[in-house]
Amino acid sequence: MSLTVVVGSGSVKCAASLGMFRLLRREGVAIDRLVGCSAGAIYTACIALGMSVEEAAEKNRTLWTREVAERANRRAMWQALFPRALRFTEEWGLKDDRLLERRLAAAFGDRTFEDCNIPLHITATDFSNGEQVVLSRGRIVDAIRASLALPFAFPPVRIDGRLLVDGFMSDPLPVGVAIREGADVVIAMGFESVYQERIHSPSRFAMQLSSILSNNLLKAMFAFHGAAHHGELLLVVPQFTQRVRLFDVEKMPYIMDVGERAMAEQLPYLRRLLESRAVGAGA
Amino acid sequence: MAPRIAVVIGSGGLKCAAALGLWRVLAREGIQPDLAIGSSGGALYAAGLALGHPLALAEERTKWMWDSLLSFDPVGVARAALPRMLGYDARVGLSRDTKINAEMHELFGNSMFSDARIPLLVAATDAESGECVLIDEGRVADAVRASVSLPIVLPACRVGDRLLMDGGLSNPLPVDAAIREGSEIILAMGFENSYKPAVRSVWDAVGNVIAMSTNHLMRASFAFHSLAHHAEIIPVLPEFDRPIGFKDSALIPYIVECGERAAERQLPYLMRLLESPVSAD
Repeated sequence: MSLTVVVGSGSVKCAASLGMFRLLRREGVAIDRLVGCSAGAIYTACIALGMSVEEAAEKNRTLWTREVAERANRRAMWQALFPRALRFTEEWGLKDDRLLERRLAAAFGDRTFEDCNIPLHITATDFSNGEQVVLSRGRIVDAIRASLALPFAFPPVRIDGRLLVDGFMSDPLPVGVAIREGADVVIAMGFESVYQERIHSPSRFAMQLSSILSNNLLKAMFAFHGAAHHGELLLVVPQFTQRVRLFDVEKMPYIMDVGERAMAEQLPYLRRLLESRAVGAGA
Repeated sequence: MAPRIAVVIGSGGLKCAAALGLWRVLAREGIQPDLAIGSSGGALYAAGLALGHPLALAEERTKWMWDSLLSFDPVGVARAALPRMLGYDARVGLSRDTKINAEMHELFGNSMFSDARIPLLVAATDAESGECVLIDEGRVADAVRASVSLPIVLPACRVGDRLLMDGGLSNPLPVDAAIREGSEIILAMGFENSYKPAVRSVWDAVGNVIAMSTNHLMRASFAFHSLAHHAEIIPVLPEFDRPIGFKDSALIPYIVECGERAAERQLPYLMRLLESPVSAD
C-alpha cells in the first residue's frame, strides 16, 4: 500500500501544494513518493528533503520573486535579431538566469536526490526529441533548474549530455511517473494555465498559445492515465477565485488555503482508500 | 447494414497532402466514407472529400494551394515588433490573410456544410477559452480558413461570434468527434511534427516548441481515445524519410505516395472489417 503525491506545473500556484501537505501531515497521512514538475518540483523537493511546510513556504517567498525574471539577457536579444552573426544556439533564453541559479543554490545547496527522506522524481523534457525525462539522482538544484527552463525565458540546461527544458512541455501533470513506480494511490495536484484577458503583444500571444497547448495536453494526458491505470488516481484541482499572477508570492497564504481546501474535499475518500487497502494489504 | 466509416485527417502542414494517397486508395477500392473530419491542414482535404470534389481536382490544386497559403505581411511584422505603438491583437499575423482568404474562396466557393455529400466537421481552437470547436455549419471556406490559422504566422479569424485559431492547438487528430458521431470504423491519418535538428534562430525554437506540444497532445489524446473507445480506430500513419517544411511543395508527389502506402498497409484489415457483419449491440 503506497501513496505518491504528484505536483504539476503552475508557477506560484504550486504553493497550493503546501496547503495540501499541511493537511496530510496534520492528518498523519504518510507519503511514500513525490513527483514534481516545473514549479511543482521546487515544492516537492522541499517536502522530500524533510522541510516543514512553514520552512518551505518561507524559502519560496524569497525564491520566486519578480526579480528572477527581471533582468534581460541582452546578448540573447541581439542573437534573436542576428542569429547567424552571433551564433544562435539551442542554449538560448531571453532572461538572465544568474539570479535564479543563485537563489536555487542558496535554497538547495549541494543536496542530492539521495539525501531525500521521501523518494523524489523531477520531470523535464528533452529539447531535441520532446521526450519526458525523469530525474531521480544527482544534485536536486540542477534537476529543478532544468524542470523550470520555460522555453524562450530561461535557457535549457544540459544534464548527462541531454539538453533539457521545462517538464510541462511533455506532461504538465506527470502522473505516469507515479504509475510506473508502482503507486497504489496517486494524489495529483494540477493547475490549468490562466488565459490572457487581452492579447496586445506578441509575448502575450505566445503565453496564450502556450496556455492553450498545455491545458489541452494536461486534460488529454490525465484522461489517458485515468483510463489506463487501475489504481486509484485522485485529482486535486485548487479553484482560485482571485487571479494569481506569475510572481504573486505575497498571495501565498491565500494560495495555500485554497490548496488545503481542495485536498480536504478529497480527504474522506482518501481515508477510506487507505483504511481498506491497509486491511487488504499482503493479500 | 454496412458499418459507418469516418475519415479523420489531422494537422500536419504540408504533410497533410498525404491525405490524397488515402483518398486514392479509398476511391480505387470503392470505399465511400460516411463522415469526414479535418483539423488544420487536414481540413483542406476533409472538406474536399465531403463536398464531393473529384480526386483529380484536389490533386491538381494541391501544389498551388500550399504555395500560395502564406504571404509576408510587413505591417503585421511591424505591429509585432512595436505592439504598443502600432496596436497588436490575436488577429495580427506575420502573413497577410487576404491571399489565403481568396484561396479559400477559390477552393470552396460559397459551399455550405449543408451542401456536403457526407457530413463534415472542421476542428478549430477558441482563442479565448483554448477549447476545441467543431464547426458543422456555415460556409466551409470560413471554417477551413479558421482551422488552418497557423499560429503566429496567420492571424486568428472570427467565425460567428468566436475568435478561432488553428485546430492543431487543441485537437491535432480529432478522432473524438468521430466517436461521438457514432462511427464504427475510424480511419485516422495523423502526423507527427519533425524537429529541427539544430536550433539556429528564434524561429527554429518556436517551431520546435509548438511541434513538441502538439506531438504530445496528439499522442495523448489518441492513446486515450483508442483505450476508451470500443469501435475500430485504424491509425493511418505515413512515414517520411526526410523532414518536410512548408516550402517543400516539390515533395508533394512523394508525400502523396507515402500516404498511399500507409493506407495500403491498413487495407487488408479494413477489408476484413467491412466484410464481417457489425455486431448489433
